[in-house]
Amino acid sequence: MVSAAVTLSPIFAVPLGEARLAPCERLNRELEALFLARETDEHRNPMPSHIPQEEMFESRFNLFRWPEPCVQELRKFMLDSVAQTVLQASTLSAEDFARLKFHNHTWFHVTRHAGSFVSHHHPMASWSAVYCVRVGEVPADQPGSGLLRLFDPRPGANAYLDPGNANLHAAFALRSLDLRLGEGQIIVFPSYLFHEVTPFYGRDTRITVATNCWFA
Amino acid sequence: MSTPAPHVVPLFATPFGVVSLPEAEALNPALAALFAERATAQWRDPLAAPGALTFRSRADLLDWPEEPVRQAIRAILAGVGSVAASINDLAAEQLAALRVQARAWFTIVRPDGCVPPASYPNTSWLAVYCVTAPALSKTRFDSGVLRMHESRPGPMFQDATHSGIRVPYRPGHYAWRPVPGQLAVFPAAITHEIAMLRAAGALVIVTARVRFVASDLAWMPPW
Repeated sequence: MVSAAVTLSPIFAVPLGEARLAPCERLNRELEALFLARETDEHRNPMPSHIPQEEMFESRFNLFRWPEPCVQELRKFMLDSVAQTVLQASTLSAEDFARLKFHNHTWFHVTRHAGSFVSHHHPMASWSAVYCVRVGEVPADQPGSGLLRLFDPRPGANAYLDPGNANLHAAFALRSLDLRLGEGQIIVFPSYLFHEVTPFYGRDTRITVATNCWFA
Repeated sequence: MSTPAPHVVPLFATPFGVVSLPEAEALNPALAALFAERATAQWRDPLAAPGALTFRSRADLLDWPEEPVRQAIRAILAGVGSVAASINDLAAEQLAALRVQARAWFTIVRPDGCVPPASYPNTSWLAVYCVTAPALSKTRFDSGVLRMHESRPGPMFQDATHSGIRVPYRPGHYAWRPVPGQLAVFPAAITHEIAMLRAAGALVIVTARVRFVASDLAWMPPW
């Protein structure tokens, strides 16, 4: 076989930002206490876009307007993480970015045993992010419990597999990406990416905060 | 000024067929009993996700000698063939000359169980046959449905007209409720799942991966 110098590049790549808040324990315990106290009809999303479940509480989308210091502390971390991701992934300069109006819808989820969230994406937004307040129990016999699954946005690309494309490096792999977020971890991804939360089988709670962002 | 009546047709459509198997009434009790008896570690697919809420057998139902299984497989493959033929320009003789390759397995989904999203490579059609289904949940209308994920790279821009768009144009997933005796057939590349079962009882299905080979000389990737 002739040895050729090949330059391999990812094209049509999906940007995925990741950051960790450290330390996060105090903030997460304050957020958890606040969210559990407000798991009420007053704060429930009145117009859920998907099938509501009693095992998962979804708040209104105005979380970052709450004045509580713990919420505002989280707001800064999450929106900063989104901003850093946008700056790294785009050709916008920091000065151009600073002139944009940064909008968001932000809410929290409290998930209990057998709660899940069906695959979905977020039209009319450019960036989405999920922050983990509480992981919750992962039962030994349910290792796939409570994962955040990002679906491969190339439908049909994996419909033909042979040894030449079945074992691609992670950046090129033709499969969904399963993430178990740790407490204090945030991931940022394009809003067009379909994602789901797999059924949570812990006996306690899984708590996350999600945001959709758009700019003008 | 009169408004002209538009002519609207579905483009880039995904075929989804439903076939009622006439043999179902006699077959299903025998299948259900056999599958319940074999929902054990010996028969479990070694690559299936662990957990007691969903059991998936090895994909070897075509090798089982039991007559109810053989009869069900024949009916399922015939159903797949009829769906493929119904949307095909190949002549009946040409279709009849094709060789069918298939793998099949049974799945038992218990309350709070589900079948995670999947699609199948190197396969053209997927068939899901319902053996038994629990009573409908009064509160959870998506309990145990076969949910096919949206596969069109839909636009991220939406305006107010999007909320009321009808099937088959509506963006989003499509759900089909398994009914005992009915077979759903759709392209195997479509990501699909069985949504979490929220009712008492078990959902029992047979799933078959199917592809058609033109001749012994035609190359097919291993699966």
